[in-house]
Amino acid sequence: MENAITMKNICKDFKVLKRHEGLKGSIRDLFSRDYQTISAVKDVSLEIGKGEIIGYLGPNGAGKSTTIKMMTGVLEPTSGEIIVNGRVPYKDRTANSEHIGVVFGQRSQLWWSLPLIESFKLLRDIYMVPKKEYESMIELYRSLVDIEPILHKPVRQMSLGQRTLSDILAAFLHNPDIVFLDEPTIGLDVAMKAKIRDLIRGLNQEKGTTVILTTHDMGDVDALCRRIVIIDKGQKIYDNDIDHLKTYFGSYRTLRMRLSDDTWEERVIDETKEDVMDVILKKQKEQKIKDIQLQEISTEEVIKKIYAGEEAEPSSENAPAPEAN
Amino acid sequence: MNENAIEKNIRKPKRGFGFYSRIYRKILVQDLKSKMSYRADFVISTFGMIMTNVAGFITFLILFHNFPTINGWDYHHMLFLYGFSLIALTPVQCFFDNNWNLRFMVQSGDFIKYCFRPINVFFYFISEVFDVKGLGQLAFGIGTLVYAWSHIGIPVTALAILKLVVFLLTASLFMIAIMNAAAATCFWIQGSGYVMVIMFRFKDFAKYPASIFSGIFRILFTFVIPIAFVAYYPSLSILEAGDVPMLTWCAPALGVLFFYLSYKFWMLGVRKYDFTGS
Repeated sequence: MENAITMKNICKDFKVLKRHEGLKGSIRDLFSRDYQTISAVKDVSLEIGKGEIIGYLGPNGAGKSTTIKMMTGVLEPTSGEIIVNGRVPYKDRTANSEHIGVVFGQRSQLWWSLPLIESFKLLRDIYMVPKKEYESMIELYRSLVDIEPILHKPVRQMSLGQRTLSDILAAFLHNPDIVFLDEPTIGLDVAMKAKIRDLIRGLNQEKGTTVILTTHDMGDVDALCRRIVIIDKGQKIYDNDIDHLKTYFGSYRTLRMRLSDDTWEERVIDETKEDVMDVILKKQKEQKIKDIQLQEISTEEVIKKIYAGEEAEPSSENAPAPEAN
Repeated sequence: MNENAIEKNIRKPKRGFGFYSRIYRKILVQDLKSKMSYRADFVISTFGMIMTNVAGFITFLILFHNFPTINGWDYHHMLFLYGFSLIALTPVQCFFDNNWNLRFMVQSGDFIKYCFRPINVFFYFISEVFDVKGLGQLAFGIGTLVYAWSHIGIPVTALAILKLVVFLLTASLFMIAIMNAAAATCFWIQGSGYVMVIMFRFKDFAKYPASIFSGIFRILFTFVIPIAFVAYYPSLSILEAGDVPMLTWCAPALGVLFFYLSYKFWMLGVRKYDFTGS
């Protein structure tokens, strides 16, 4: 099967002018050609198959946005090869953008003063979507989410949740092969998050759209992605199934204890170093424990550990998960 | 490439002039509809624009009270130039107003959203805002021009009307070009707001015959910052009966050229800008 996205040894450097302090420094900057090279992305190779939902994770400033910008054709890589839908995106940004959809954080791409339905009609014209396809897409939207309350509302009067929903619908409208979603659930309440996740999953299943999901919300990842890619300091540090990730810290458990004042205390315990029973007994001596829960380490904790640079060794007690394609 | 993708490629015809004007018309109609629904906002901003013009006009009258002629130009000829410049400044105000937002968009990184659609970035950006305030100015300009025209006693012929339309369009192209170029400086420098404000202030010079400038300023306002083309040279095509200067006849071609160069400069900025602002 042909890949949706193929990246081979992609690097991206930025030239940044060295700034000097003070008034004298500012005057020097005016004439200075003293550039500093910063590599935002270092030697990243990635293959993403059609129809996958990929969780693309990394701490702030890790190079996520830069990678997405190269995939969408906005930025040209400094070196390496990139193919999106069989095209080199930066060489033909316009052709590439016909077949992708983008939702970039909380920046709405819809016409601020227009009702949503008018934005949809404009997008239909811009992408030259045939009438029949457009109508069947709207029908699909209706079956997945209740769009009636927002369809005739100007975007500027919408709540954040409604706006996000609208932006996602708009990104899928021309039935693109790939949709990039950057933090689609940021700032939303639990119910809206669930609604948005259901919608993304539904659209992915119905249309077979490849989805690249950038997020800091592990709930999104757990709900939507089978495979995750983690990037840090411009380098890819993890690329595999989400289940496999948990085996990295297989000896870790999350221990939750309900104390006498009914609050839950949570601790992550490495069983190779500490015994769970010891921890409980020790705590029992200080305070009465009413209840305990022992859980597998959460995705969130694993990611935190990976960001923190802790050694990620697959533990031997769990069977190694199959390599991701 | 699979069949689906090929099919998609075939069905897309080229996006030409017809395509863009259709899209623009639709955005405009929708935008106007929504503006009408904010009636108070609409009325106040139109009123504000009229007051600004009235104030400008009073300044003009006071000036003429003290100097009956300026460099050989009498009251009605100056009024003609004044009205002409107001009309010529309308398109930049109505259709290219989003240029004022460009630097905020670029600095915050929001500008990137214009790069994800399969249409021209400049068109997409500019088409987003239509400013109705400029219409008040247009009405004021037309009134002034008609009044001056009748008092000077230029015969109303088809040729004169044609010349008026062509040279008004020419004049507005120059102002649009100036503002495009000024706005695009934000891709390179931080303080581009000042550049825009200064350029916009220069438009006030358009109301005076360029012949009052001498030496270096004349060259500056003709070829570098082509303010003299925003009213003076184009209006000579109608005001001067016989000896119309060569630069007037060159104006339409030069206007297109300046606009094209400013557009290229704008687009160069987009390409050069590395979108790190996020």
